Amino acid sequence: MDFNPKKHARYFLRLLNILPSHASNYDSTRLLLCFFAVSGLDLLDALDQLTPEKKEHIREWVYHLLIQAKESDGDDEVARWGFQGASTLILPPATGVIDNSEPYACGHVSMTYTGLGTLLILGDDLSRVNRKVVAAGVRACQQSDGSFCATLAGSECDMRFVYSAAAVCYILQDWSGMDVGLTTNYIMQSLVSHNFFQLLPGFTMIFLINHDDIFQSYDNAFAQGPGLESHGGHTFCAVASLSLMGTLHTMLSTRQLDGLRRWCMMRQESGFNGRPNKPVDTCYSFWVGATLKILDCYDLINKSENRSFTLATQDNITGGFAKWTSTDVEPLHTYFALAGLSLLKEPGLIEIHPELNLSQRTVEHLHKLHEQWTCN
Amino acid sequence: MTDSSSDCTYEEEYVFYKNRPHWKDVTPVPQDDGPNPVVAIAYTEQFREIYDYFRAILRSGEKSERVLELTNDAAQLNPANYTVWQYRREVLSHLKSNLSDELNYIGETISEHPKNYQVWHHRRVIVEWLKDPSKEMEFTNVILAQDSKNYHAWQHRQWVVATFKLYDLELEFVNDLLLKDVRNNSAWNQRYFVIIHTSGFTPNVIKNELEYTAGKIREVVNNESAWNYLRGIICHTESGNITSEEFIMKFCEDLYGTGCRCPYLLALIVDICEELFELGASDEIFSMQRALQVCDDLALEHDKIRKEYWKFISRRINQALLHRTTAA
Repeated sequence: MDFNPKKHARYFLRLLNILPSHASNYDSTRLLLCFFAVSGLDLLDALDQLTPEKKEHIREWVYHLLIQAKESDGDDEVARWGFQGASTLILPPATGVIDNSEPYACGHVSMTYTGLGTLLILGDDLSRVNRKVVAAGVRACQQSDGSFCATLAGSECDMRFVYSAAAVCYILQDWSGMDVGLTTNYIMQSLVSHNFFQLLPGFTMIFLINHDDIFQSYDNAFAQGPGLESHGGHTFCAVASLSLMGTLHTMLSTRQLDGLRRWCMMRQESGFNGRPNKPVDTCYSFWVGATLKILDCYDLINKSENRSFTLATQDNITGGFAKWTSTDVEPLHTYFALAGLSLLKEPGLIEIHPELNLSQRTVEHLHKLHEQWTCN
Repeated sequence: MTDSSSDCTYEEEYVFYKNRPHWKDVTPVPQDDGPNPVVAIAYTEQFREIYDYFRAILRSGEKSERVLELTNDAAQLNPANYTVWQYRREVLSHLKSNLSDELNYIGETISEHPKNYQVWHHRRVIVEWLKDPSKEMEFTNVILAQDSKNYHAWQHRQWVVATFKLYDLELEFVNDLLLKDVRNNSAWNQRYFVIIHTSGFTPNVIKNELEYTAGKIREVVNNESAWNYLRGIICHTESGNITSEEFIMKFCEDLYGTGCRCPYLLALIVDICEELFELGASDEIFSMQRALQVCDDLALEHDKIRKEYWKFISRRINQALLHRTTAA
């Protein structure tokens, strides 16, 4: 099957406009869909298909979701700072009544990452983002075990939000958004499966970790949290976080890196699966592929098989990609299928930055901003 | 998109909130989506109305039985809205509601949306409040019977087992699952989880686990999960070296002797050869020359999809050999 980039661009343009009512279960994470569409268009080198007016609408809508510090904010408010996933909890101003709804409108770590990413893709300079404030909002979500929850308003805590937090800190170049030692602990415990070191604080265990003889992982890959089953998506989150924090090669020994590469390589059957003995699924062409890229061995995969599988899930009529050949297309798999094809350097796509999951072009723009921030 | 909201549950009998006498005192509050919304959703009338009432309630801060019903309606339409669940918990807590009923309710919701994070989180909080894990093993049994690899169910189960120290029957459960499907990687992982938190990998346990796993591999050779577990056990031997276990070496050689050329077996043989070389031990059977040959066999015949990878390992082996020669 031929790659059909024009159809996918149209798919994302439709996504940016209006979705049918059965998409209502995405209502609280519309920003994620917006990111998939905008970043997807970026990878397709098709941002020019958005009119300047539309780009402005997107930017304004994303900023509409940002909760920044107000003068009246006390300590309890810090946790609210960041991007919300949607406007579900944005209420018109109340007149003459006490409004109790405010504490429920909270930033969400992953939405903060996708919100910042969307703005960067559109060429925004983030000058309207108070970086210290957003970093403080992220920090408030870190737990005593080093993991992150999505938001303090009732959420689970796991590796997904560790990654989002690391990506936000990297984008903002402000690592006050996390205790890096504590975060590293959590990631490493999700590799080692043991809980020998759970009682040790922060940096203490970093000196012990590289000691192969003391403890080893069960299958050398990462899970959602300590003790859980190794998983391609969580392995990406863990490895990309370590890489963004700059601790990947100090935390993992050569033997551990070799084992991790082996585990990732073994995920390929045609496309990639996310766990041993699970079926291949388009999104792992990115999750596992990007991990291998970060580990400097992406070129060892079988590229043509991976490409064929991904293209077999493409819908040639509506555009978009599905999880499997037998399922319908949807935004997440469409985006990650393209991200996976971008790793393959598919003609018609621009290259993706594996850690940040943004185009290299957007990351270059970000790095220029970083230089400006340093100079100022 | 996905399964989602079941407006159809309301079909004929559905009465809009605006027509419900006991909601007359509440003025719905619309969403402020900004002047030019993107990725808009064409909400159904029910969806829009229910969330308008939900916003009104967040604003007023009301915590009552009728709000509990409202959060039910809102959650059914979008179970991924974590604020709805959070507010529901606050109402439950305020009303001192019967939490066993809530556990049944969330159980039904999880059955409808077994891969939704928010509903599992809600269940976990309710179990924490109840301090009673008595329903959890049976509940996760049911979910895992539908999908024995559901990550959410395993995560919840591990949390329950670890928090309430319910390790006793877990190995039996894992054994049953592996009898049904020896390729169930989640079950192998749970086996490791239970052992590490109970007996630990003592020399005796290691011996038993090696034998158990070897038996499972003989049943179904091409099973990555079992091979990964086998290697996982070895990490717990005193040296952590594969080659310190005679059992493994003999197991591999016997299996190879039967004509088995499964990639996981061959990969392990390569690793054994490399490890012996690194340790400075020379072995006639597990030599570096053999490792090179096996890499070739993998690349060209038995694991062709990873051809480039095995060629890479070959180069690594050749470099190690070259380095040794130069050093000598």
